Amino acid sequence: MTREERTIVNRSLDKWGVFDALKDSVFLIRQEGVSKKLCLVSPEMESIVLQNKPCLSGLVIGEITKQFTPTLQGMDLFFRAGAKSQHYIKINENAENLVLYGRDVMGDSIIEAPEALTENSFVAILNMRGEVIGVGRTRFAGRLLFQKGRITVTTISDAGLYLRDEDEEKRSKLTRRS
Amino acid sequence: MARIFPESSRSVSLAKKYGYDSWLVSRFLEYVPDVEGFLGKMESPPTRYIRVNTLKTSKEALADRLRLKGFRLQETVIPEVLAVKESPLPLGATNEYLLGHYYIQDLGSCMAVEALDVGEGQLVLDMAAAPGGKTSFMAQRMKNTGAIMALEPSERRIKSLTFNLNRLGVYNTSVCAMDGGMSESLGIKFDRVLLDAPCSCEGVIAKDPTRKTDHRPEDIDYCSQRQARLIESAIKVAKPGGLIVYSTCSFAPEENEMTIDKIIRMFDNLTLEPMKHGNEGLTMFGGTEFDPSLSNTRRFYPHVHDTTGFFVARLRIRN
Repeated sequence: MTREERTIVNRSLDKWGVFDALKDSVFLIRQEGVSKKLCLVSPEMESIVLQNKPCLSGLVIGEITKQFTPTLQGMDLFFRAGAKSQHYIKINENAENLVLYGRDVMGDSIIEAPEALTENSFVAILNMRGEVIGVGRTRFAGRLLFQKGRITVTTISDAGLYLRDEDEEKRSKLTRRS
Repeated sequence: MARIFPESSRSVSLAKKYGYDSWLVSRFLEYVPDVEGFLGKMESPPTRYIRVNTLKTSKEALADRLRLKGFRLQETVIPEVLAVKESPLPLGATNEYLLGHYYIQDLGSCMAVEALDVGEGQLVLDMAAAPGGKTSFMAQRMKNTGAIMALEPSERRIKSLTFNLNRLGVYNTSVCAMDGGMSESLGIKFDRVLLDAPCSCEGVIAKDPTRKTDHRPEDIDYCSQRQARLIESAIKVAKPGGLIVYSTCSFAPEENEMTIDKIIRMFDNLTLEPMKHGNEGLTMFGGTEFDPSLSNTRRFYPHVHDTTGFFVARLRIRN
């Protein structure tokens, strides 16, 4: 990792309130075309990766461009590490099931959101237990996020995505066969 | 070559009653205890098990959540594994599954990891890793420390492997698109090697009844040759004092005890170590006597252990 990349990562860890919790963790960058994926690995894994060039190493926790954008797994890691961030919304149980189906979040189903949240913010979508179930982007700021009858947060990714992809793959195989 | 035994009136009548090819039942009569009980058990769906992912939750917390949803769960001999006696939802459709709090995994399959006795900070090789059940179980037992090299040659299966590792929060694992037989090229010596070898899958007939009649003696021959190559590679990459666990989901002695018997005669630095669970392995088959230490291998039978069929051998490389 270059010094510049390290700075971007450290700033981001600080923004999510997990700098102290993760400062000793080992991160590697995987270059995929122009994309730079940030991977969390165990310390023992570092030398092995440099020697063997595997197709996946550790957990991809985000992407580095001019800034750092966490993946769902990255968000999950941060909140498990006790993230003290203002970038989240908490939703009710009914909405949790819908988000895991890839649906967007209605204002009625948000039970908690920091007032400081601005429009177009990148947020973790948490269930009532505080677990990260998705990643979203706000369409409104502050109290307007609670508007009834309107979608106020767009779901970008969610924990049910792979399963839907897999179902889709199975369906397309069946269609091809028939 | 796979041994074929003469048909008897018993093998023919059991084959007819349960819908098997009779050559297969003739073989079962040679190495499966209580064959009628076994064939009867294979007619019902196998017991379902979940393995709690302790990287993300605790057994108590998960059990409480699932019980609230109407699941009925039961403890097993492996602390992280729960038997699912009743479930109001498919096991792969709960939010807890999607969030990586558990993995659907047969108890027999978990026995291979139990036998490998992995610990924190170790270097571990998984020679045939997809879809990642055993890999992720090892990662959680290692508390995400050390390093696991997970090998898988199939691109399609790598996708399901990486999905499972991500979902379960595993970060001490690297995946290489590579056949297990090439593992020497990694240039690493491992503390632990798991070879869950590709096999003829006799042990999963309850899940896939087409194997009652699709299975051929040639399948056993093909698999046993491949298994012999893989286990030779495993021995070459294990550290002195290290452990190798060889497992299959087949009952065929040619894929199990015979493979291990050949390998311990070929290498003079191997010791077969006993394990706590399961029936003792065969020390004789079709008139051939194996090394007496083959009794230290273990067989798991659906009608005896309530698992899918499984075989596990634990080999120590002597210093």
